[in-house]
Amino acid sequence: MAEQAFGGRAAGPPGRAPGPSGGAARPPLPSPGELLRRRHLLAQNVPLVVAVALLVAILVIYVVLYLVSIGSFPGAFEAASITDHAVPLSLAAVGQTVVVLTRGIDLSVGGMMDMTNALAALHLHGGLGPEILWTAIIMAIGAAGGALNGLLVAYGRVQPILVTLGTLSIFQGMALWILPSPGGHISSAYTGFFLNPGVPSALIYVVILGLGWSAFRRSRLGVDIYAVGNDEAAARANSVPVLRAKVLAYVLGGTLTAAAGIALATTTTGGDATGGDVFTLSSIAAAVVGGVSLFGGRGSAVGAMCGAFVLTVLVDVLFFANIDPLFQPFYQGLFLVLAVGASTLLGRYLIRRRR
Amino acid sequence: MSSSTQPRATGGLRAAMNPDRRKILYGYAGAVALFVLGDILKPGFASASGVQQILQVSSFVGLVAAGQTFVILVGGIDLSVPWVLNSAAIVMSAVAAGSGGGMTLGIVLALVFGLVCGLANGLGIVLLGVPAVVMTLGMNGMVQGLILGVTHGLTCGGCGAPAPTALNTLMNGKTAGIDTSLLIWLGIIIVVSFVLSFTSFGRRVYAVGNSERVSYLAGVNVKLVTIVLYSLSGVFAAVAGVALAGFGGSATLGMGDPYLFQSIAAVVIGGTYILGGRGHYLGTVAGAIVLVTLVSVLLSQNAANYLRDIVYGAVILVILLLYGRQRGEA
Repeated sequence: MAEQAFGGRAAGPPGRAPGPSGGAARPPLPSPGELLRRRHLLAQNVPLVVAVALLVAILVIYVVLYLVSIGSFPGAFEAASITDHAVPLSLAAVGQTVVVLTRGIDLSVGGMMDMTNALAALHLHGGLGPEILWTAIIMAIGAAGGALNGLLVAYGRVQPILVTLGTLSIFQGMALWILPSPGGHISSAYTGFFLNPGVPSALIYVVILGLGWSAFRRSRLGVDIYAVGNDEAAARANSVPVLRAKVLAYVLGGTLTAAAGIALATTTTGGDATGGDVFTLSSIAAAVVGGVSLFGGRGSAVGAMCGAFVLTVLVDVLFFANIDPLFQPFYQGLFLVLAVGASTLLGRYLIRRRR
Repeated sequence: MSSSTQPRATGGLRAAMNPDRRKILYGYAGAVALFVLGDILKPGFASASGVQQILQVSSFVGLVAAGQTFVILVGGIDLSVPWVLNSAAIVMSAVAAGSGGGMTLGIVLALVFGLVCGLANGLGIVLLGVPAVVMTLGMNGMVQGLILGVTHGLTCGGCGAPAPTALNTLMNGKTAGIDTSLLIWLGIIIVVSFVLSFTSFGRRVYAVGNSERVSYLAGVNVKLVTIVLYSLSGVFAAVAGVALAGFGGSATLGMGDPYLFQSIAAVVIGGTYILGGRGHYLGTVAGAIVLVTLVSVLLSQNAANYLRDIVYGAVILVILLLYGRQRGEA
């Protein structure tokens, strides 16, 4: 079990392997033991490898389709458009990942994004002071909502899927109460700080999230969360504070979801109390495409963000492939099932070969 | 464990009242209490026609939740319910309208459509090893895209989807003074309950839900049972779609959306354990009635939408805290 918990830490090397720059300077003769170790790593991180490969593949397809239909390479504007659309989903997917790692699931993501999106549209303007203050307040509300989920799961001992089903409804109601009809606005200074229509500057947040994650998974809490997701009974037996880890996972998830709500408000520069609903399911889809196991203990934020970008680029690919937008959900659904199915089957195959 | 510590003074009755059955009774008691509350708040709420109306609305939730009960009993879940329901309704209406009164054909094709969707879910979960959440979520998207694309979003001239009038009259009619749709639901309740309680298939469902491994070792064809249950869930979603279109007079886009969370909530409020192995359709029926009655009470008080959502969520949480808790230190 410990091997699984820490196996994810070594996700870097095999994850980067299919990238464009890898493989230049290999040691000439790896020992048999070294080869075996590499294959173990690969087998353990198949979902992440698949996620990165998917991202590379879909980006290539996107560029080719763009080249064919427009006649030039996509530029900074296209990159910025994709990034700006992918950042809210990335944040939500990472929030979902933290919770899923504990073998939970957060269906209230949609409601929390509704609520924070509505609050952002109502308050994020009128000068630097109020904007910073309200950003903090909104994030705190996300943390509080997450704490509610976490306490009900950990101390109430109710199944996560049911707790968050209930809080989803509550958060959705509160969003409608806060912002009964779509409206509000976000100051352009605030939006400009986060997004830039000409340059994919929002990639900074993806990098920050990635760096934050690598610190998190080495932290006490990170290790605890992976341990709880891998085997709760064993974690408890090894004096991991299971309840604390669970509650904090939901708090962290809620906070990230609140950030996603703010990001969503900046991309749409307005608020809609139902605009976040789709993120419940799309955050799960992004995490799963990114190789996060719904059975807990496996996966990473890097994978989840890959998943979010894959799903975002997929929409553009379908657009440039001249697919009737009405058919779009069909291809998205098919893609989700095939991606996860392929990853599962490949994992099984590698594990079988390992024996 | 707890039963051995209790005195067995009342013998048969107490033995028959295990915690699972008690939960189901609480469900019905809760429904009755809600009707009484509604009648106090708004006299006439619990009149014969009022009750029948609420039960009628509950029947649609109850039909979807029949399939959901099946898959949750083996620890699965079916998120493809909204668009399987919606698509079945559209298939039924389109076929019946296109072939000039081919209502039977339309209904049969709609049910076959539901069966195929459910079968695909089951095969994907069992053979591809895709988690149920992902498989059924993907299926929901696939069905939605297919139906929207093929019907052009119901915007073309000939593809409006009014339900056949015969079905409309049937679903809104009365037989022996009781709404026909309720009698249909009653029939389904009896069949489903019988299958769960008195057939070997029902026993297998509970066995698989309690432990796939042990069931497999005991010779249960776990894969087959799982596939059959997902197929049934598709069929029940389709039945609900046909019934709903018949009742409302037409198939509309998005008609299935509310039924995803409602069906899951009904199953859970009815005392079925979300990880499988324990629960019964009779509980789900109570859960469906409680949910719909609760919403009706709030509606009768002209509660704002947002308040309705909040109360709805809070009530689900309170019910879960009261009896949906797992034992500690599992």
